[in-house]
Amino acid sequence: MNPTGHPIDAYHIPGLDDADVLHWDIREYDDGAVRLRIPVLAPATLERLLQRLREARRHYLATTPVLELTRAIDQAAALFMEPDHPVRALAEAALPAVTGYSPAMIRLVLDRMAADWREPALHALLEAELGDPRVLDSFQEWPAGRSVGSAAGGSTGSSTGGDTVPHDERGRGAAAPVRVRAFGPELAFHIFAGNVPGVAVTSLIRSLLVKAATLGKTASGEPLLPALFAQILAQISPALGECLAVTYWPGGDQPLEEVALRAADAVIVYGGGEAVAAIRSRLPVGTRLIEHGPRLSLAVVAREELTTLAARRVAAEVARAAAVFDQQGCVSPHVVYLERGGEVAPEHFAELVAEEMRRVEAELPRGRLTTAEAATIQQVRGAAEFRAIAGREVRVLASAGTEYTVIYDAEPGFTASCLNRVLRITPLDDLSDLVRHLEPYGAFLQTVGLAAPAARRALLADALGRVGVSRITTLSAMPWPPPAWHHDGQEPLRELLRWVDLEG
Amino acid sequence: MAILDIEGRTLAAELVQLFGLGVEHVLDDAAFNDLALRVFAYQFQHNQPYAAYARLRGRTPGEIAHWSQIPVVPTAAFKEVALVSGDAAAAEAVFRTSGTTRGTERRGEHYLPDLALYHASLLPNFAAHLLPDGAELPILSLLPPASEMPDSSLAHMIEVVIDRLGAPGSGSYATVERGIDEAALGAALRGYEEAGTPVCLLGTSFAFVHWTDALRERGERFQLAPGSRLMDTGGFKGRSREVDADELRATYGELLGIPENFLVNEYGMAEMCSQFYDNVLRDNVLRDQVALHGKIEEPDREVAQRDQVNEFDQEVALRDLPQGEPASSRPRPRQKVAPPWVRTVVVDPETLEAMPPGELGILRHYDLANLGSVIGVQTEDLGRAVEGGFLLLGRAAGAPPRGCSIATDLLLEAVAGHPQ
Repeated sequence: MNPTGHPIDAYHIPGLDDADVLHWDIREYDDGAVRLRIPVLAPATLERLLQRLREARRHYLATTPVLELTRAIDQAAALFMEPDHPVRALAEAALPAVTGYSPAMIRLVLDRMAADWREPALHALLEAELGDPRVLDSFQEWPAGRSVGSAAGGSTGSSTGGDTVPHDERGRGAAAPVRVRAFGPELAFHIFAGNVPGVAVTSLIRSLLVKAATLGKTASGEPLLPALFAQILAQISPALGECLAVTYWPGGDQPLEEVALRAADAVIVYGGGEAVAAIRSRLPVGTRLIEHGPRLSLAVVAREELTTLAARRVAAEVARAAAVFDQQGCVSPHVVYLERGGEVAPEHFAELVAEEMRRVEAELPRGRLTTAEAATIQQVRGAAEFRAIAGREVRVLASAGTEYTVIYDAEPGFTASCLNRVLRITPLDDLSDLVRHLEPYGAFLQTVGLAAPAARRALLADALGRVGVSRITTLSAMPWPPPAWHHDGQEPLRELLRWVDLEG
Repeated sequence: MAILDIEGRTLAAELVQLFGLGVEHVLDDAAFNDLALRVFAYQFQHNQPYAAYARLRGRTPGEIAHWSQIPVVPTAAFKEVALVSGDAAAAEAVFRTSGTTRGTERRGEHYLPDLALYHASLLPNFAAHLLPDGAELPILSLLPPASEMPDSSLAHMIEVVIDRLGAPGSGSYATVERGIDEAALGAALRGYEEAGTPVCLLGTSFAFVHWTDALRERGERFQLAPGSRLMDTGGFKGRSREVDADELRATYGELLGIPENFLVNEYGMAEMCSQFYDNVLRDNVLRDQVALHGKIEEPDREVAQRDQVNEFDQEVALRDLPQGEPASSRPRPRQKVAPPWVRTVVVDPETLEAMPPGELGILRHYDLANLGSVIGVQTEDLGRAVEGGFLLLGRAAGAPPRGCSIATDLLLEAVAGHPQ
């Protein structure tokens, strides 16, 4: 990055004229090593551009087969995976400064995220949720072509009585064939939060797949990658690029947000409870709202997995799950629950995790912290040391700097981490006690990385699901949900859709 | 002197006498070091958790020679254990941290064996920075009285200040139940305004925001008499909208008629017996005196130790002013200043080593007045060291986490609302 050079354009706004730009918001990172440029617009300008976006949708998106869209998106994604492509190089060079993540972390996240934007992943998503993706293009037989196994089981089922009703069922008085078609919103408005790169791009892609003209308002923590993706997509498919806009304005900018909230048919909002609530309260009646509020995750290890042989591997998986995204992802574990009675004692396992945290640091260094974040880690460590002094069974296993902190606390309780690789490890007499500890937090739980024998896994999954957990997976898969996952227990495509039944 | 032993009482008496000499009495590094090491040694004997922590750190009294090596306790530790030199149950007062609005977070507890030391630190420091001209003013508080807020060090502080330094008419204009009594406060201020009597207003920043928002809404404003002044303190912690300090001072000027140099922000914490204040009012008064008389007139005030107030010493009082130029020509910028019995170090949050002057770090305080608890406190507060003081640049607690995770207080709120 040349500090004296031209700043990077962190926006993609089709139809934007120079005259529309009130002034440029130049955002500097790393003492000016990376500079981003974002146009500041008047509300009336945004209104006009959103109208234009809608019209572009009518001309192109609304009439283009979904599989043509997945092809264009795939081509854009491929460029982000090409090590030598300028856009990949730009992302790799600028994102560490913009997001605070280390270069190694950015490379890993780009690779993993971009894989989810490739055609196979997109097709898997479409098929998992819709059965036949062509319902987005024209009327299709319903529920023909849907294998029971891939049925997503949504509440928007057809008039024949649900997904599990065999196609050829007789005797319900509904012999006439039904065909269905799904329409996405004409204009979807996404409000992003956080600094995990790629999350926003995934959300924009879902919206394009359902053929919505799409406006993404980026987060101050990561305003760049969604804009780069939109720019590349527009190069590959100019017509598709006309239907997508990405830009940034400071959250809470009422006049601009009012315009976007009024114009949108669906609003997808990410972020903290208060930010989400604020948007909800300002939404016009009838606008569909999809919320991705704050979520947190945890890891659980059954005693059968705590063998002398397996403990090191399990510890490495735990350490890596906490290290990816520097623990800032909703999929990142805050607490590890260990069941007592295994070959390896919980306290010893905590030591193994600390060792593995050190190893991960070498390969995947933690990012830059703000002064306040580092200060908080020091406080958390200090408080834990005093718990030990006060006679509780607590140990602090930490790096010399703030790189990682493992706190072993024999008192099982759930505590949200201050993040940035501060992991609490706590024992349980039996996994069946877990639900009691998690119950109060049910609304905020997302992923449980669970290492347990199959039979116990199934039993516990049931209990965890009841509490509010929306994803149970292996420790190593924690950071990387499959493309077709039920994100926060929802169906990211179907919840954007409106279904039309054509009977007879 | 409820629970300090004979040694502690002797040390406390010595400190009370020292604080009584006022903030203009310089304590050089050797003198501060001597006292700090004695205070630490006393605490090491009598404060078991602190002693254990010092041993863990390899920083016991025998192993250190300088106050900067004294182990510092993170403020979060006050939530975990009673850090008191003696029997917590016999403490004369307990001040608790306010936590967040959501109210379920565990609160830090600071046990004070002996309030005399607290008062001895508070009064000369407050007087020097809020009343450097020796003014005796009605002191009007926007905080409920201490009787309604027994946990609050700030409420206690204000009550003592009103009692010892306030002119008749001083008092609290708020209750816990109903908040600020805007009618009574407005009537009182209108009276002082008409009589041309200057006043001193005290309160939390968020109380001032609420009140000035209400004034603005009603189109009400005051032109308080010259010499009126205001002390605000604390962050917002979600209790009112967040207002930038510059904006808040502009509001005070606009709605109350108090000029910039009479607006003093206080920085204190439940875990510390001493406080910090903005330098502006004191510097301003000293500067005017130099301009007017060519010397500084320290007010002959009856504070904690009337007979201990030392002789005025111009050399000493000027020590914090820029050297080499007439004091009146170049005011130093607004900053926080400590009394001589407190040392503040800005440390790197990664290494916990002292930062070069001017660099952003976290604040660590050594307070001799904390004899009854722990002398060294590691905060989460951000600041930069400047010549003669420091800039307070935010209080870390409550900073929202990055990423798509969830703030602890939101989680605690969820638990509080959960039927169990």
